[in-house]
Amino acid sequence: MASHVKLSVNGVGKSFGHGAHRVEALRDVSFNVVQNEICVLLGPSGCGKSTLLNIVAGLQDPTAGSVVLDGKEIDGPARERGMVFQSYTSFPWLTVEQNVEYGMKLNGVPKAERQERASHFIDLVHLAKFRKTYPKNLSGGMKQRVAIARTLANRPEILLMDEPFGALDAETRWHMQEMLVEIMKSSQTTIMLVTHDIPEAIFLADKIVFLSSHPGRLKAILDLEFKKGKDIRDKEELITLDGYPECERHILAMMRAEARPQDVT
Amino acid sequence: MTLAGSSTEAIEKTAPRTANPGGARRRRRRFFEFKSDIPASWSLTLGILVWVLFFGFWEFAVWQNWANDILLPGPGKVLSALHTLFTEKAFLYDVGVSVTRILLSFALACLVAVPLGILMGSFRTVEAFFNPLVSAWRYLPAPAFIPLLLMWLGAGDAQKLALLFLGVVWFLTTLIMDHTKSVPADFVRTAVTLGGNRLQVLRTVVVPAALPGILVAMRQMLAVSWTYLVIAEIIAADVGIGAMMMRAKRFLHVDQIMAGIVVIGALGLLFDFLLKKFHGIAFAYLEENVR
Repeated sequence: MASHVKLSVNGVGKSFGHGAHRVEALRDVSFNVVQNEICVLLGPSGCGKSTLLNIVAGLQDPTAGSVVLDGKEIDGPARERGMVFQSYTSFPWLTVEQNVEYGMKLNGVPKAERQERASHFIDLVHLAKFRKTYPKNLSGGMKQRVAIARTLANRPEILLMDEPFGALDAETRWHMQEMLVEIMKSSQTTIMLVTHDIPEAIFLADKIVFLSSHPGRLKAILDLEFKKGKDIRDKEELITLDGYPECERHILAMMRAEARPQDVT
Repeated sequence: MTLAGSSTEAIEKTAPRTANPGGARRRRRRFFEFKSDIPASWSLTLGILVWVLFFGFWEFAVWQNWANDILLPGPGKVLSALHTLFTEKAFLYDVGVSVTRILLSFALACLVAVPLGILMGSFRTVEAFFNPLVSAWRYLPAPAFIPLLLMWLGAGDAQKLALLFLGVVWFLTTLIMDHTKSVPADFVRTAVTLGGNRLQVLRTVVVPAALPGILVAMRQMLAVSWTYLVIAEIIAADVGIGAMMMRAKRFLHVDQIMAGIVVIGALGLLFDFLLKKFHGIAFAYLEENVR
């Protein structure tokens, strides 16, 4: 397998405030994301995983270290690093189609190509029937699908997702997870996703980057050997796989070890 | 089984006794339920009822001679005064002048407040620079400037437009700033990670997202404009609704003064209605089931 490093996080640190009010959110975090893999950032609340994702997006600046995408150090937000948020961001004044075309329009993609790409990604997220619908008439899951299609249609080098299914109910959630896996199979993309949902992390990830809390440090990188080379498309398949319970137990134990000191205070 | 049986029994025992009062209680609850809708017909009936009571009380007060007939004419007299004003006293011209003053001054205020409010709501630097000034002016009552404005601009239209402008522009700016600030941060973050530059984000995200709120702010401040219009026209004016009312006062034409008040109220309602309709049409996407 030719694994080419797409993105590397090099000794990233982040602190907020000054002097006595200084809070360290991240300390010396380093890891690589390989092309076409899903890298999941997992950890207890307060481990700075969202901060790290924002830094990769260029929405926040690191106070130490750097992030390199395709050999170039990142500086501020850009089209190459499209982000999907937990909150619904489909613009209410645009139809589904216009929303998906939005990013391409910003970047001056010609109309014909824009429409073609938009329609491809709208089909991919199963919204073909809702092309001309305004977001007000869409469910939460559909709004998230619009956001995913809009970001993918803009052809980012890496897709960043900050708890993208966190606001959805449990059923919609696993439908979305399966859809994301399906999309990945058809449209080779590199993804970096933040979640605190352990089954979601195991289902989606090729690699889990586990962060500890206060400050966020790299605790472990899990390669999920048990699902390597297997074509897993739904959750039933995953949980019946050899090695799944051990993997989940291992992560739960890490989570618990991290959470304990906080429970006391 | 026994549980189900006993509960049915309990219902059967209590049902006949409470059927009637229970039904009545339910109906009462329907009309005095916190924050819940009432039937449209009921809402219309109540809306008409309040006016019927108002005019009824007014007519009653006149009939009982609670006040001098000159100081308190009945609704009928006010209505006929309104007719006379329009047919014989060229009141339509006064109304036209007043409406022009409102629209012109309000357009000027919007010309300043909309871009300023949007920029203040978008960029902290702009807010930090302008907000101390805007906040201070907001707390200065505009009529306090009338003596100054009279000296600087005379008693003509310029002074009236200036007063209306000053009365509205600071509040309008603040309201628009607040509406702009409440545009979800993730909308902006989405746009920049899609590759949008500052101007693109402002034009294609911040402005369209803030626009419905901005129109609401305009509706609120247009109502305030009428307050300052009357003040301006009462102080010094030859034409306008307020001027007519001051003229009528000189000749003890209370019916005409009241007719003026009615016209201001009606115009205010009309403008509010039109802006509300426009909001519904322009921002139809905010309603459900619009394709």
